[in-house]
Amino acid sequence: MTTAADRARTWVSGRDRSLWVAAGLIVLAVLYPSLVESLQDLPLIGDFVPSVSGMVVMLAFTTMAIGLNVVVGYAGLLDLGYVAFYAAGAYTAGWFASQQFDQWTFHFGSVGIVKSLPGIHLSVWLVLLIAGLFTLVVGILIGLPTLRLRGDYLAIVTLGFGEIVPQFVRNADEEGIGFDLTHGAFGIAPIDSLGFGSLGERLGLPESFQTSTDRAKWFYLTAVLILLITVFCSVRLRDSRLGRAWIAIREDETAAAAMGVPLMRTKTWSYAIGAFFGGVAGAFYSSFRSGAFPADFYFNISVFLLCMVILGGMGSVWGVILGGMLLAYLNVEGLSTIGAKIQDAGLDFDPTKYQFGIYGLIIVAMMLFRPTGLIPERRHAIELEEGVHDTPFYDVTTEATLTDRDPSDD
Amino acid sequence: MATVRRVLQFLRQPRVVNGIGLSLVALVGIWLAVNLVKEPANFVNVGLDGLTRGSVYALIALGYTLVYGILQLINFAHGDVFALSGLVAYTVLITIFGLDSGSSGLAIAGGIVVGLAITMPLFAIINGSIERVAYRPLRHAPRLAPLITAVGMSFIVSNVSLALYGVQTRSASDLISNAPMFEIGEVVYSWKKFVALAIVVPVLIALTWFVRTTRQGKAMRAVAQDPEASAMMGVNVNRTISVTFFLAGSLAAGAGMVFLLEYTMRYDTGFELGLIAFTAAVVGGIGNLAGAVLGGVLIGLIQSFNEGLTWFAAGSDWTRSIVFGILIAILVFRPQGLLGEQTPEGA
Amino acid sequence: MTEQDGNLVEVTDLRKEFGGLVATNDVDFTIPRGAIVALIGPNGAGKTTFFNMLTGVYKPTSGSIVFDGVEVSDLPPHAITALGIGRTFQNIRLFPHMTAVENVLVGMHCRLHSGIIGSILRTPKVRQEEREAVDRARELLVYSGLPRRHRERAASLPYGDQRRLEVARALATDPKLLLLDEPTAGMNPQETADFTAFVSRVRDERGLTVLLIEHDMKVVMGVSERVTVLEYGAKIAEGTPHEVQRDERVIEAYLGKGATTE
Repeated sequence: MTTAADRARTWVSGRDRSLWVAAGLIVLAVLYPSLVESLQDLPLIGDFVPSVSGMVVMLAFTTMAIGLNVVVGYAGLLDLGYVAFYAAGAYTAGWFASQQFDQWTFHFGSVGIVKSLPGIHLSVWLVLLIAGLFTLVVGILIGLPTLRLRGDYLAIVTLGFGEIVPQFVRNADEEGIGFDLTHGAFGIAPIDSLGFGSLGERLGLPESFQTSTDRAKWFYLTAVLILLITVFCSVRLRDSRLGRAWIAIREDETAAAAMGVPLMRTKTWSYAIGAFFGGVAGAFYSSFRSGAFPADFYFNISVFLLCMVILGGMGSVWGVILGGMLLAYLNVEGLSTIGAKIQDAGLDFDPTKYQFGIYGLIIVAMMLFRPTGLIPERRHAIELEEGVHDTPFYDVTTEATLTDRDPSDD
Repeated sequence: MATVRRVLQFLRQPRVVNGIGLSLVALVGIWLAVNLVKEPANFVNVGLDGLTRGSVYALIALGYTLVYGILQLINFAHGDVFALSGLVAYTVLITIFGLDSGSSGLAIAGGIVVGLAITMPLFAIINGSIERVAYRPLRHAPRLAPLITAVGMSFIVSNVSLALYGVQTRSASDLISNAPMFEIGEVVYSWKKFVALAIVVPVLIALTWFVRTTRQGKAMRAVAQDPEASAMMGVNVNRTISVTFFLAGSLAAGAGMVFLLEYTMRYDTGFELGLIAFTAAVVGGIGNLAGAVLGGVLIGLIQSFNEGLTWFAAGSDWTRSIVFGILIAILVFRPQGLLGEQTPEGA
Repeated sequence: MTEQDGNLVEVTDLRKEFGGLVATNDVDFTIPRGAIVALIGPNGAGKTTFFNMLTGVYKPTSGSIVFDGVEVSDLPPHAITALGIGRTFQNIRLFPHMTAVENVLVGMHCRLHSGIIGSILRTPKVRQEEREAVDRARELLVYSGLPRRHRERAASLPYGDQRRLEVARALATDPKLLLLDEPTAGMNPQETADFTAFVSRVRDERGLTVLLIEHDMKVVMGVSERVTVLEYGAKIAEGTPHEVQRDERVIEAYLGKGATTE
């Protein structure tokens, strides 16, 4: 029986093979809106074909999963609070593309709305970038007390942040903090839509997705683009100097530090980058939803995203795309479709109620039987099989540490 | 960036850290003192309330700390096992035994004792099975693996609770009356509050006896300190770990019963309580059994003070944030917890 | 005295206490530039503790470590490596599932400058830097006696090659001082002799200074120019290999009091 290690005795890049497959998928993806109706007419599987707006949500979540993969898969840090980044991005859109701050009236590149509408209305394209950067800063801030801790404490503390941020946005209104930052339980709505503005109109593109005849399609194409950019950045970083540093940290932190890799800084970068993509996806999604609502942000989402990464394959971009689309599909439409079929068959069972139990089951089953995921990443497969030196270098909680140095000096 | 780092470096110095820590403690002390002076009776009542709460937290925290001491694993599912046990206790007491507020004191007391005799072994076995099925196969995998599995397990258990009990809350809090057991002026110590201690204290005593004197207890401490050496000394490491999980499971069931009798239980109660109890374990010093009890009582008091006092108290909306803030603060300022390092020497 | 001559490392009054245990007892120590120096002593003498303080793993309880004119006792490991101290480990700590080339490339981390944006865009500067880095890595591997092992996974290399790879990786950090922690442990006499010659070559050809912890006296005698002996955390002898070999206290430390009485 050949082990993963045997197969990977020498390193070979499968990069070229992947490019052709990717190109093909991109073509299919772009054509999807035109194909979807014929697909939905197919017998048997037609009911399971996701709608275009369903796909938008799926793509947004898959983008977040790719972001989480940078933290969990590349750097090997168990982040259970990713929903905080999602929320930060969504509310940034809420601040810079809505009437939330109606004390001011400022427009810059806004589309589809009257220029006299109160509030800050920046071009949503710009807001996506701002959201990413703001969330990146949030990621760095969360990382400061968190990344010095060993793996399991890091998980719990990120979980806590993943709880606190949603609680915060729910309470951060006039009554809670004396200033209406997030409009409390009501959330911020409406949020401006993406669009190509008057310039686009002249080119035959919709001025605002909201008012176009095919809102879902335009959001969908943007989602595909965002996912592509995220995947591109992710792959480039994986194969870079920083990516090597992450692998070194995964395999032996102590040796990595001795070889000149700054542990805290390198881990913080993984957080920051994961946060960036989470923020962009969050802002995009809230523009699509035309609102940022506290009910959309809760701890379970972090685990949902983790499940995507585990199911697909930690560290494996293709895997996470597959796992992400699959699970997001279940969440958005799949489970309810299956539920309807089950009802039709006479059984009174609603799988959507137990969806998080299902995700939990998937996580446990994968970890026990196929921890490398549906599309394993070569190096992770070997690491899981043969083990790594995963004694943390810094471990503030016990006396028996490898170093007595404080991680904040790092 | 460099200035930020220099500021942080300054803040990390021991005297600064201790200074900040002491100032925080002093501030809390002042807040408590003011509240005490303003409304002494309420203060004491709230304090007793906190003690009751704290005793439940202590039991749950012990479950976390026992498992962490021996496996360095945060058993995320522990809180959800606790919740399920409370719901099952409801089934036993109310559905099966048919107790209600009209039942005689003897019947209720007997019901509780028999109920514990059912749920504690049951959840010992359930908890042990979880270890056997989900964590043991990953004993030698990278550390991340059992951690992730524990998260998944947590969701499975809470969904089992959901499937069996739906979204409604369950409670047996009207079984024990609020009638005072004794009262001094406006300070009331009700029978209901007493029941919590009546269950928790014997359990703690039994646990201490077990860990201190029995062979299994010694084996647990040995494996927690050094699994390899223990194995060489003839300790059956697997069996010891199983016993630890059995213990943790029955502690959770004890806590579940108390919680059901004092408050209300729902399929998702385990998440919040788990976070609170884990924080308590860390506050006391993870791996340290006395620490878990101390931490549990402290957090229980803090929560009750926050929700029950009237002068400058943030209220229940902010409880989770406060508890979590405490967790962060401890991990930053005193990560080994109040009672010190990670050697599970019992008390 | 110019910076070119003199001491690369000056350790003064270095002390390390672990609770009640004194692991390093007010040690003074210097390493002259360009020398090959050995640190020996019976087990538990505190050699690895000393190494760990030099490399930033431990924080000294008191005392100072000056490397190339810079006080390093409060710096974390990666910063010390960036200043020019490279090391190998007693129990080999390669990155097991990275190839030989990748291991060496990690060693170059602090000497490369590609940033996030540059890496994402793969600018010409980044591409060039990576190309040159891979070339340099291959050179180091050849230099260290691993000419055909580039793409092999580190954990699957034979033991002797793993030791050489560790040295190649340490050299990749472009060090001024090379710390070798029991580098010939587990080697047979032939391998040991080869390795000893290699260490000499490295010092001569690359202008490095070398500090060895060693138990194998042949290596110590054969390659080191000065030997320092520790016992119970304190320095008990220092001098040329021959001087130290004859020192009574050293003999006692290794063989017990009985050995010095005829």
